[in-house]
Amino acid sequence: MSASVLVPGVVSPVVVSLFVPAIFTGLIVGIIGLMAIAYQKNDLNALILTDIVGVGMLILVAAVGTDLAEAIILPGLVVELAEILAISEILMSREMKKKGKNAELIPLPLSMDMEIMTTAPTFLALILIVHGAFLSGFTGGAVAGGGILFYVLSKRMRGVPANTWEGIAGVSGIAWCLWLVGFLVFFVFPQYWLLALFLAAFGIFIKVAFKAGLIGVIGREEFSKK
Amino acid sequence: MDITILGQQLLGYIPLGDIVLYLAPLNLFMFASTLAFTTIIAISKTETQVEAGFGTLKDREVKVDKSEFKIRRFLAIVCGLATAGAMITGDLFNFTLFVCLIGIVNIGIVAAVKQVDVLDAAFQYGLVAMIATLPLFGGAAMILASTGTISLLEIVDLPTTFMMVFGSLLLFIGVAGETGVAPFYATKAEMFRTPGSPFLLIIHLSSLLVIVRVIEILLIINKPF
Repeated sequence: MSASVLVPGVVSPVVVSLFVPAIFTGLIVGIIGLMAIAYQKNDLNALILTDIVGVGMLILVAAVGTDLAEAIILPGLVVELAEILAISEILMSREMKKKGKNAELIPLPLSMDMEIMTTAPTFLALILIVHGAFLSGFTGGAVAGGGILFYVLSKRMRGVPANTWEGIAGVSGIAWCLWLVGFLVFFVFPQYWLLALFLAAFGIFIKVAFKAGLIGVIGREEFSKK
Repeated sequence: MDITILGQQLLGYIPLGDIVLYLAPLNLFMFASTLAFTTIIAISKTETQVEAGFGTLKDREVKVDKSEFKIRRFLAIVCGLATAGAMITGDLFNFTLFVCLIGIVNIGIVAAVKQVDVLDAAFQYGLVAMIATLPLFGGAAMILASTGTISLLEIVDLPTTFMMVFGSLLLFIGVAGETGVAPFYATKAEMFRTPGSPFLLIIHLSSLLVIVRVIEILLIINKPF
């Protein structure tokens, strides 16, 4: 079967041989999801299980394993998220019509009373930020931002100094400028490409990390309003 | 075989970088009729349903209020544009994305109605549409893997292999689920039982035109003649 696939000679045979198992994995994941939906009577559970079928779709697209597949896996993910949002909105509005009550989209304040929120946030946030710094770039920024977000969300009971976080918002803007300067250096002085690469990578790392962290700050302000 | 099937003539290309659109009479006709219908929808007003009351001589009017009407008109126009895009695109993956957009917008058009039955049908249709993304994208990815391209103009020159046939079958199942035709039509018929007729008709029109277009794409990929 894999002989019918056109593959350039530079690709190693191990990678090529992974294609058919990956296709089968995706189809099996989809079938497992479908079986679970068939047994399920609760609408909410059926909706959540449908997401498993979507994961099977992502496996099928990822199985191709080229740059183009990486480019088309993002629209696939976005479409899946949009559909699950639309369907959950339908489910919510149906239940509201049945009961005759209205509800907020995100009911705030959230009650997250877990022990891990008080004992571990510093340690976990530090690990996430350091790991993000090693990754650098957009991915690292997202990881480190997750760490900051987690820290703010879990520490909000004790009160985080507001001025510090507002200052961090300014740093985010400056880091964005670093990223732009990095790109400018790429085009104007190509011989300093290493400097440009690091400027761009760490500029976007700091920017994304603090942007994601800002979600926590805004959330905290919403909480303190109540 | 040439890209022009069913005795058509190729009228020209629109090369937009990677994305090359091709113009043939069938595609152009469907594109133009979708745009014309979308324009009619954009300038029309919604209907008012009259329900007969049992055991009484009074009738009950079912109206659509203004905010709901605006949302519904906007989504109907998006649905029309997505259908027009699916008619004319020469790129397999863009086609699947347009079909997915049609599916999402179809759910959105009926999302704000007040009838619980219609919402129930829309929920069931949404589940089917979401499950259908697996064969839809999976089929497109399999065709990409077996041909190395998603441009229909390139695929038409390649010999058909087993994986391409399998992928295009999956693609067809995906389109059928996403647009709610034959095996999945029961929930979609229920979705029409709500006021706001001209906007609801785009749901129907989009699925009909997409099916015609997907058959053209399957003929291009599989080259049965």
